[in-house]
Amino acid sequence: MRKKKIIFNIFVYTFLCIAAIFCLLPLWMALVNSFKTNGEMLTNVMSWPSRLRFENYVRTFDKMNYMRSLFNTIFLSTLSVSVMVVFSALAGWKLCRTKTKLSSFILALFIFSMLIPFSSIMIPLYKLVLILKIKNSLIGLSFIYAGMGVSMAIFLYHGFVKSIPIELEEAAAIDGCNAFQTFFYVVFPMLKPITVTIVITNILWIWNDFLLPLIIISDNKKYTLLLSTNTLFGQYSSDWTAILSALILAALPVIVFYSIFQKNILKGISDGALKG
Amino acid sequence: MKKLNPNVSLMLFAAPALIVYGLFKLLPAVLGLFYSTTDWNGLNKTYNFIGVSNFIEIIGDQYFWNSVLFTLKYVIVMVIVANVIALFLATMIESINRGKGLFRTVFYMPNMISMIIGGYMWMFIVTKVLYYMADNWGLTFLDQSWIGDPRYAFIAIIVVASWGSVGYLMIIYMAALQGVPTSLKEAAYLDGASGWQTFWAVILPMIRHAVTICVFWTLNSSFQVFDVIYSLTGGGPGRATQSTALNIYEEAFKGNIRYGYATAKSTVLFVIVLIITIIQLRIMSKKEQEA
Repeated sequence: MRKKKIIFNIFVYTFLCIAAIFCLLPLWMALVNSFKTNGEMLTNVMSWPSRLRFENYVRTFDKMNYMRSLFNTIFLSTLSVSVMVVFSALAGWKLCRTKTKLSSFILALFIFSMLIPFSSIMIPLYKLVLILKIKNSLIGLSFIYAGMGVSMAIFLYHGFVKSIPIELEEAAAIDGCNAFQTFFYVVFPMLKPITVTIVITNILWIWNDFLLPLIIISDNKKYTLLLSTNTLFGQYSSDWTAILSALILAALPVIVFYSIFQKNILKGISDGALKG
Repeated sequence: MKKLNPNVSLMLFAAPALIVYGLFKLLPAVLGLFYSTTDWNGLNKTYNFIGVSNFIEIIGDQYFWNSVLFTLKYVIVMVIVANVIALFLATMIESINRGKGLFRTVFYMPNMISMIIGGYMWMFIVTKVLYYMADNWGLTFLDQSWIGDPRYAFIAIIVVASWGSVGYLMIIYMAALQGVPTSLKEAAYLDGASGWQTFWAVILPMIRHAVTICVFWTLNSSFQVFDVIYSLTGGGPGRATQSTALNIYEEAFKGNIRYGYATAKSTVLFVIVLIITIIQLRIMSKKEQEA
């Protein structure tokens, strides 16, 4: 019996290790080869770099306007998520606390749209952006993200508010708080666990979203990290070592973010999905 | 103090969300229905109402239907492959004592990275690294035209897309598996059930909710697949791996700039997705009721 358990464990660990290597292979290969010259890379992709050359990084750092693209991406995702969180917490809370026909109708309206695929609204949305004159506007884009993300966030807030006691809000009202004060001082702090989940899932979505910025942003001063990486890929078609350094640079912020907030991210992901 | 009518104060609080939502999600959906009946394009300033001509043209649009077929094929394969691998990995990790956290962290890592970046990294792997492995390690089966041959390009897309999404599903399955009480597994063991039987008869029914969520998520995201194909094959060779989203994008923003026609295509896509979602919800809710 014990022997069987050991053999089983060896099998499981071997399998998991192979799967782990597979997961990390592209990142590892990109990292190793980004320190090589093209000649060195072509001789042996697997070899260790002869010495750490940062030439590729220096070149692509400037070429993709790294700092500006990074700043744009941070700005875009922070603003979008802030707008989304405030708007949907306000709506989600009130929708849950109001029991009228209108409130059920509005909630249904929000939930219904989760079925609409993005590619179905992409072109009319582009037209709308032209009409509103917000093409190339990161602020405009933030509000678009907020508009597309509120339904899920409201759904989550609505579910969460159900689980918190209404007595606290009533007490606040008796103490003379108006509805807005009750919301900001009493309700919103209690929503923190679900807010963390919503912030994490949406930051990751917006940070990694490509198609929407691709059609809305054409001015390279407003490029997000992904857009500059994509453009650079087109320009450096066969200069693989340079491209790989750009890919590493583009992936770096997320990897740093992941290593710091790993626990919250993994918890947020499963909570967001299982409660949703 | 006079108390506000509940509906008035509701509207006050819901207004900001309703406005951005109405403007950027509902309005485009409605406008889409209108534009799909016009000949609006990027070249002329004005456009005309042309009735159902766009939809009639779609019926004969071979490239569009190929892209729909490709997407359906992709969706079916992804729903099965990604979920089976994710559930398998989750079960494996849950069965070990040491290193759970480490494996979980590593397997989720690819999900953090955009499929644009991931796709380009994989392009390097399939065009450079695999040939090296084939030549030097004798793994000759890797010596294929992974991007140039439609059959292998499909496999490459599935592998890379799974690389990028399995971690997410695995996290959900792990959370569900942790919710299965150990007493149930022990009872099954004492009753003489094999590991396989325990999994099918005890564990799987207990995590049915997670399966529903994961299948639904894979289905939804696979129907909209764009990034991984854009970066890895660009829809090629020719149009062999073009997904519907890519087909619509190219119709509207590359070459033809026929917005009206592309919008009609996206309306057709919406109808297809809607029908499949309704069927799926029916089946899933029936199964959950039976359980």
